[in-house]
Amino acid sequence: METRSDLALSIDDLTVAYHEKPAIWDIDLDVPEGALMAIVGPNGAGKSTLIKAVLNLIPRAAGTVTFYGAPYEQARSLVGYVPQRGSVDWDFPTSALDVVTMGLYGKLGWFRRPGHAERELALAALEQVGLVDFADRQISQLSGGQQQRAFLARALAQDAQIYFMDEPFAAVDAVTENAIVDILRELNQRGKTVLVVHHDLQTVAEYFDWVTLLNVEIIASGPTAENFTLENLQQTYGGRVSYLHGGQLLAASAP
Amino acid sequence: MMPVERLLIEFLLTFLSRDELNAFLRSPQNTATLVGALIAVSGALLGAFLLLRGMALTSDAISHTVLLGIVVAFLLMVHGFRVEGDTSSPWLILGASLAGVGTVALTELLYRSGLVRQDAALGLAFPLLFAIAVILVSRFVDDAHLDEDAVLVGEIGLAWANTNSHCFQNCQSVTVTEDHPAAKMTRQCVNCRELGISPRDERAEFIEVCGNCGPYSPAQAWNAGLLDSEPALVFFPKSISVTLAMTLLTLAFVLLFYKELKLSTFDPALAKALGFRPGALNYALMALVSLVAVGAFDAVGSILVIAFFIIPPAAACLLTDRLALLLLLSPLIGAAGAVFGYDLARGLLFGFLPIADGIAFVNRLFGLDLVEEWDSSISASMVLMIFLFFLLAWVFSPRYGLISTALRRANSRRLFDDQVVLAHIHNHQFTAQAATELRVETLHLHFRWTQRKMGRVLARLRALNYIRIVSGGAILTERGEERVHRFRATMLEAHNMPASLA
Repeated sequence: METRSDLALSIDDLTVAYHEKPAIWDIDLDVPEGALMAIVGPNGAGKSTLIKAVLNLIPRAAGTVTFYGAPYEQARSLVGYVPQRGSVDWDFPTSALDVVTMGLYGKLGWFRRPGHAERELALAALEQVGLVDFADRQISQLSGGQQQRAFLARALAQDAQIYFMDEPFAAVDAVTENAIVDILRELNQRGKTVLVVHHDLQTVAEYFDWVTLLNVEIIASGPTAENFTLENLQQTYGGRVSYLHGGQLLAASAP
Repeated sequence: MMPVERLLIEFLLTFLSRDELNAFLRSPQNTATLVGALIAVSGALLGAFLLLRGMALTSDAISHTVLLGIVVAFLLMVHGFRVEGDTSSPWLILGASLAGVGTVALTELLYRSGLVRQDAALGLAFPLLFAIAVILVSRFVDDAHLDEDAVLVGEIGLAWANTNSHCFQNCQSVTVTEDHPAAKMTRQCVNCRELGISPRDERAEFIEVCGNCGPYSPAQAWNAGLLDSEPALVFFPKSISVTLAMTLLTLAFVLLFYKELKLSTFDPALAKALGFRPGALNYALMALVSLVAVGAFDAVGSILVIAFFIIPPAAACLLTDRLALLLLLSPLIGAAGAVFGYDLARGLLFGFLPIADGIAFVNRLFGLDLVEEWDSSISASMVLMIFLFFLLAWVFSPRYGLISTALRRANSRRLFDDQVVLAHIHNHQFTAQAATELRVETLHLHFRWTQRKMGRVLARLRALNYIRIVSGGAILTERGEERVHRFRATMLEAHNMPASLA
């Protein structure tokens, strides 16, 4: 096994199983620094599982993962994570600003409390996603799109090198989708590596320069232009992909 | 425990005289209220996190199964170490807390097997451990402090009586030996039982036995009349030191790990990704819940204690949406419930309204013959009071109460009706059909509303100067026009509205 430290992320022979049933199977994936990558695949393809296994949130059955050549435990501060919006209870008694501040807890470590500097950083991150006016609002009073942007701001506050986002575009309005795309591009321009679990096949080519097609195993991975092909998509989705005339992708029947 | 208790007493004695302190502590009301309030404070602090984690019932399971820990530790003390069994001993409390943590571990073991669901796992683990405990109690324990009644509701009213004595002056321990003037010597037949004879029989052999020999603490010595001058004593209820210690521990835990607890409660995945240990924190939380459940056992039993954990934060949740404030309000509500609960048990609602008067009134009104005297379980009354505070918050909370929610809903329904009518007028005025569509007398038919409802809405819209009636038809005023446009603008961003309103 070789680890190249110029790769932002290197996954080698990664397998994760739930009760001996593989959720992802023998994944090999190298992501160069600065890639803006979509991870697409049908339901149950193991997209979220891949991210969670990479971040050590669930046990791996086999395989190694390195970030800039180092294992996760040593690379924690380089990694930002945006979980699915539905993974938390939005009735939790806290404000948008507070949620964003949580992104800074990792740098603070145990016991140290966030202070003035952290507040400023969190406000700056909220500003970036256009939510600074909602800083003090109880999080259940935010719309779904605003909640998603708050999560994004939290990851931005982490100031990581490589970001993992689990379906940030799921059930958001157009305003939020545009805001997220702007932020993805800005992160990309600043040389950050971003991996996004994505559902909308129509926008893959527009938003992302790299793509990984996943269905338990990796079907294809690399620059979008070469890999986001009908053939690969049919292999990933099992032939349930239809095209609009003019060669534009419509959607997969299984989103 | 004893030296710490002594330090605390010495501290208190800088403010109070010894007699005042003793008088305070020997009042059943003071001790019961203090113990109840301390349980409420520690319970509510932990309960807030349990509630937010959706683990309210876990505290119920733990509070039941710590009984097993208490019984086993109690039996170990009595039969293993041959000391007096005491359910407020710190060792017993620590040991028994392990049972609570064990419940959580057993639940996870069952759940992780993948064969039962999480709620079922809890339902499996805790009756098992509780049943074993009940069998052990009824089979092996014959101690007044550990009967089935005490298990149910505790004995907070007697908390003042179980004390440690501390001597501060004129402290003389006495050891009574056989040659001590106060020794009570009696003759005892040594072979009567063996031979089956009466002590009067001439074959009976006797030895002299000392009935009261042994070491006497200053308090015991004074009570037994062995001392000429009274020692300066303070009697400190054990429950106060136990509940005070667990409250301080809980407070320290929550203050120290506030940030970590918040993060791992709201988003355990991020907590783990950032290198905090949500699993370990969870177990620490469960250990503390167990500790408080055991510490509270003597006072409120193992059934009612869940109320001290869950009801105060549930009430506070209706009053605030900030975690820090929630952690401040919950203990206050719990403590207030404990204070007023004692009064309620003694027949005074909120400390000044005599319940007997109320019952007498009901008796007079309906010609009933209910017993007017009111003297009930203290712990149950405390729970009732805490629940009353929840009820008040539930109905009257300015933001999340029943009344304000109903008012808000009625208001938004009214606004919606207004908008529907305004939009209709906007769409049809100055069109060919305006005369038929906007006629005031028939407008309600287009909407399939009652005439009364339409009349109400139109009257309101006119009062607000949104519409005018011109020759029997409604048209928008400038203000109404503006209102329609504003509404359309927000409608276009409807997806930006909070999920709760959409």
